[in-house]
Amino acid sequence: MQFLQQMINGITIGAFYSLVALGYTMVYGVLKLINFAHGDLFMWGAYVGLTGLNIILALIAQTSPWAILPSVIVVMVTVALAGVAVERVAYRPLRKAGRLAPVISALGVAFILQSLARNIYGASYKTYPNGVALSGGTTLGGARISVMQVAVLAISFLLMGFLYLFVQRTRIGTAMRAVSLDHDTSRLMGIDVNRIIAIVFLIGPGLGGVAGMIVALYYGSFDFTLGWSFGLKAFIAAIMGGIGNIPGAMMGGMILGIIETLGSGYLSPQWKDVIAYVILILILIFRPTGLLGERVAEKL
Amino acid sequence: MYRKLSLLLITLVLTLSLFTGCQKEAGTIKLGLEGPMTGDYAYEGQGFEKAVQLLVDQTNEAGGLLGRQIELVIEDDAGDPTQAALVAQRLVDADVVAVIGAYNSTATEPASEIYNEAGILHVTPSSTATRLTEKGFERFFRVCFLDDRQGLFAATFAKEVLGVQTFGILHDNSTYAQGLAEHTKRYAEEMGVDVAFYDAINPDDTDFTPILTNIGAAGLDAIYFTGYHAQGGLLLKQTGELGLDLNWMMGNASNNPELIQIAGLENAVGTYITTEPLPKDVDYPEARQFVADFEEAYDMSPDSVWWMMAAEAFNVIRYAIEQTESTDSEVLADFLHNEAKDINGITGPILGWDEKGDRLGTIHLAYIIGENGDFIVNPEQP
Repeated sequence: MQFLQQMINGITIGAFYSLVALGYTMVYGVLKLINFAHGDLFMWGAYVGLTGLNIILALIAQTSPWAILPSVIVVMVTVALAGVAVERVAYRPLRKAGRLAPVISALGVAFILQSLARNIYGASYKTYPNGVALSGGTTLGGARISVMQVAVLAISFLLMGFLYLFVQRTRIGTAMRAVSLDHDTSRLMGIDVNRIIAIVFLIGPGLGGVAGMIVALYYGSFDFTLGWSFGLKAFIAAIMGGIGNIPGAMMGGMILGIIETLGSGYLSPQWKDVIAYVILILILIFRPTGLLGERVAEKL
Repeated sequence: MYRKLSLLLITLVLTLSLFTGCQKEAGTIKLGLEGPMTGDYAYEGQGFEKAVQLLVDQTNEAGGLLGRQIELVIEDDAGDPTQAALVAQRLVDADVVAVIGAYNSTATEPASEIYNEAGILHVTPSSTATRLTEKGFERFFRVCFLDDRQGLFAATFAKEVLGVQTFGILHDNSTYAQGLAEHTKRYAEEMGVDVAFYDAINPDDTDFTPILTNIGAAGLDAIYFTGYHAQGGLLLKQTGELGLDLNWMMGNASNNPELIQIAGLENAVGTYITTEPLPKDVDYPEARQFVADFEEAYDMSPDSVWWMMAAEAFNVIRYAIEQTESTDSEVLADFLHNEAKDINGITGPILGWDEKGDRLGTIHLAYIIGENGDFIVNPEQP
């Protein structure tokens, strides 16, 4: 009974990590940049979602889960645009400036986003209104699974599935994969690299923002440090699965979530971070490019 | 020629600055307030500010202290020990006469070292970890009560009122929570209660379902969480979501309405809280006066006992300054240690302090969260 319950717990949190990890991996794929600001864009999704939800609830004058859908669209659009803005302002000018400058810039953006959230919304915990998250659940083989969990898992897998198909089967997706291999050759092939990168920053942060709203809705309360802890874990998950690799990010997220939960449940929550990171290091020792990462020759 | 001129100018400026320093003597009395104005505990820090500012304004309107106006210097430590050290140094540099703060023991600890080095009177309203008075700081005082007393109270309540035989204790590895957990465990075991579960959560986490699943499977009669209200609320909420039937007790860092907001009312009802009596239940005229004044000034009631404790800290400092007619920390500390007895405090009669700086006596009460989300004094007390 306990094992099944822990697995359900682990898969849920794994799905969250996967969603966020996707944003990291996509941006790294096309820009070879770890977008440290991604975790904070995710956190902004939670805040924008709350504001959007409050406005919509005030308009329809009742609490209903249906208010989530328009809020999600608002969040997706807002955070996606924010992502594009960040890229244009903080990363594009530094594209020729080597590997270090964009990373520092990303860190700077991360802190700016955190402080903005704290100053605009205040430092105390914010809670999502009651009655919006789906309630109720069922017991399956002794373990409890809630309606919200099922919904969240379904949405996460749907989003990830769409993204995978998008990248694999559409022209833009193919262009993305080309850009992630080599910018100059892509240009020679007639791909507008800047436009593709902007699209990546629409999708990655857009997804991250939605993930932020879902996570905040699921747990009920959050504050401006949400992006930091989640972002770090998702980043680890992306590396574990092979950074730049979309199925890798999904896999990495799930594995990290399950390992963390089992470690927390069977050993102690105090050890769970240690366990997760030890496993990460072991994976990287034996497969330096991550579980699904491709061995690409380093350009010097 | 220019060299001589600039040399003269510099000497002039330096001499002038010496004079500005002397102005302090006849000016305001500066009081420092250190608290978590932002961060996890912002609810408490901002309440500290309101409570102390209220009393400062009242004192100033009545003519001030020793004929001088009080100036409150407020610093934000965000509940973080590194930031606490920074702002403590800032307050020392601002030449404050005394400091009220901080909220959590983790922040108070490094700050108290700095205040001790500078020899400034330091009164904490709410840091209950026993360790803080074990360092021999002569000018450090508490107006709250110690965690070993709270641990004893919690264990006694669990055994005698709830009839607990298998007990669980959960903390979050912070100075305060771990200390309280250890004390509770010790007293519980002395009373013959079996502490079958003893573990800690990571306060940065939001998902506690793994540990809750464990707790659910451990067959405990009750589980006592000694951490802070943000995590307490999440624990209660996730307990409800997992459909677990757990008998929760929480410590005196969970004694405020935000706990219920984070947990959701239906998940919070029936939770026991061990704490100093809440402002609405303190049956002394000074307390009632404080509550009334606070409600009038801010249009909200002081729901947290720690806000009242912050006011008490100010009250104590003001009393000491008035009685000794001095702002010298050594004189004030000496007075509080040796001569201050039976003061009519806002939180009840203050019997005095022992040589370590701890307030004498203790009052803890067990509360239960009622159907309407209010904190009701539990009908049965140990």
